[in-house]
Amino acid sequence: MLNPILAFSATRRMRSFRTMLIVIAYMAALMLIALFVLSPFLKDEILLSSLGRSPMAYLVLLGVQFVMLLLIAPAMTSGSIAGERERQTLDLLLVTNTGSFRIVMGKALESFAVLALVIVCGLPVMCLCLLTGGISFGQILIGELFLLAEAFACVSVGVFCSALFRSTVVSAVMSYLVMGLIGVVTALPFLFGYPQRITDVLYDRALYAGLSEAGARAMISPVLYLNPGFGLLALAQGQLHLFTDAASRLGWGRIYATWLMGDRAGWVFVAMACAAGMIVASVALLGAASRLIRRKPKRKGT
Amino acid sequence: MLKIENLSKNYGGFSALKGLSLEIPDGALHGFVGPNGAGKTTTMRILATLMKPTSGTAYVDGTDVVKDGQKARKLVGYMPDFFGVYDSLKCWEYLDFYARCYRIGQAERKRMIGQLLELVQLEEKENEYVDSLSRGMKQRLCLARSLIHDPKLLILDEPASGMDPRARAEMKGILRTLREMGKTVMISSHILPELAEMCDSLTILDHGELVFSGSVDALADRMNGNAPLDIRMTEGCGEEQVEAAVRCLKEMPAVTEILREEPFLLRVRMAEGTDECAEVLRRLVIQGVPVRDFHRAPMNLEKVFMEVTQDA
Repeated sequence: MLNPILAFSATRRMRSFRTMLIVIAYMAALMLIALFVLSPFLKDEILLSSLGRSPMAYLVLLGVQFVMLLLIAPAMTSGSIAGERERQTLDLLLVTNTGSFRIVMGKALESFAVLALVIVCGLPVMCLCLLTGGISFGQILIGELFLLAEAFACVSVGVFCSALFRSTVVSAVMSYLVMGLIGVVTALPFLFGYPQRITDVLYDRALYAGLSEAGARAMISPVLYLNPGFGLLALAQGQLHLFTDAASRLGWGRIYATWLMGDRAGWVFVAMACAAGMIVASVALLGAASRLIRRKPKRKGT
Repeated sequence: MLKIENLSKNYGGFSALKGLSLEIPDGALHGFVGPNGAGKTTTMRILATLMKPTSGTAYVDGTDVVKDGQKARKLVGYMPDFFGVYDSLKCWEYLDFYARCYRIGQAERKRMIGQLLELVQLEEKENEYVDSLSRGMKQRLCLARSLIHDPKLLILDEPASGMDPRARAEMKGILRTLREMGKTVMISSHILPELAEMCDSLTILDHGELVFSGSVDALADRMNGNAPLDIRMTEGCGEEQVEAAVRCLKEMPAVTEILREEPFLLRVRMAEGTDECAEVLRRLVIQGVPVRDFHRAPMNLEKVFMEVTQDA
């Protein structure tokens, strides 16, 4: 049987005006940005130099969606559990035979479904880049998959905060903070992690030449696979190879060392590993949230 | 049906429940009474698996609610004292949602929803939005929700609170029907007379401790045994005769308090456990006191509640 919380919450969500507004606003923003980025192709004559803007348009649209999901998800999920508490309906759910994890998962999937809807709705806009060339449909689909993983991760952070904090507003604010914190903490190995084993490989040409893809993947810190920003960067690099020069010019060994490992490991693989890492971490976070929803309430009557 | 064994609950240094033990037979309509802070809601939340006790346990139809919460939830229907409803949802959808949460099949859900809406007299509101209902109707709908999985034990935490007299009467009617259906119902209130009207048995809690548990009649008997004696003398008798009566009563060790309620009415309290009413009357008559009326003062349930809970 379909998760009743998912079915029920989705029904309520789709009846609300706010959901429609979110979808419309998201699509309008995406359309405007697409129009702006692809504007050179709307002119009567297209310059050769404009052709390079097509992959760039894809990257911008991907990045904009990435940021919009970060902004929308906490606002959407902050009330998922905290709202039930505020409405005094959580107890009524907890006394049913639906387990805590199922309740939390239902709430997460319901919010995720709306975000998945806006991502899928954004697909035709992304496909505008196909008209101008430089990107394939398969690449766009991989980008969409990555966004779906990111959306699920954002939703799980929101639901976790909603289970942890009693007020919807506090939960929303804390979701943004927690997401920022996760972004910074999981990026630390990229910025400061400089394991000796990477140095050894990089300074030994023979070792580096013989380094397999699997070996390079193992060299990258597992914590980095939980960073959505690193995932996006890996995806962009894997699909468009736009940052190679920039990375080498940075001259900051720590970043460049990891960068070289990414090159060897295969950036698209790294991006998909990030997506998988985010999903696994999200499920763990939802598991923790399911433990939190049965906490004792603030004592009001005895 | 319900067996509570030495149930305790502490919140930090505060003891909300202190070793409560209790048994409620199958099919009983049991009242759970106590002033605010007595431990009623805590007990009910533990029984509804919403809270773990600090020690002790409870069994519903043989199932341990602490160790086997998942199984216990199938046996218990719970209606909290405060609850909210979802907007943008029709009455039948509201019940259908909770029925799904109990994993009830579609055909069964449809049948149960129809029956329950009829039971709580909301069949005409089936397609109306829940948030458009009055408070009394919402209470009844929530009662229907708590019955959706056909539980053996129904726990209602102050179901009539905040209702107008008509809505209260309707709720009482539904509870009587549930008793006739053979459901075991545990219902809490801080108003004893309200519960005494419809309950077979009562438990009185105060400060987390059991003060009384038994039938309503047993409670009345217990309290009537301690009710003060009203001694009315013939109107117009002299003041010296009233004073003689007071002197005579003071000589009796069993008499603990003498109040002159009216010029010719004395209210006499006897020590608990003594039964010397006949002796009191005999001595008064020997003293020549013109006794016109001699009886125990009537105790209403409000007074009983105050008496029972004042010592705990």
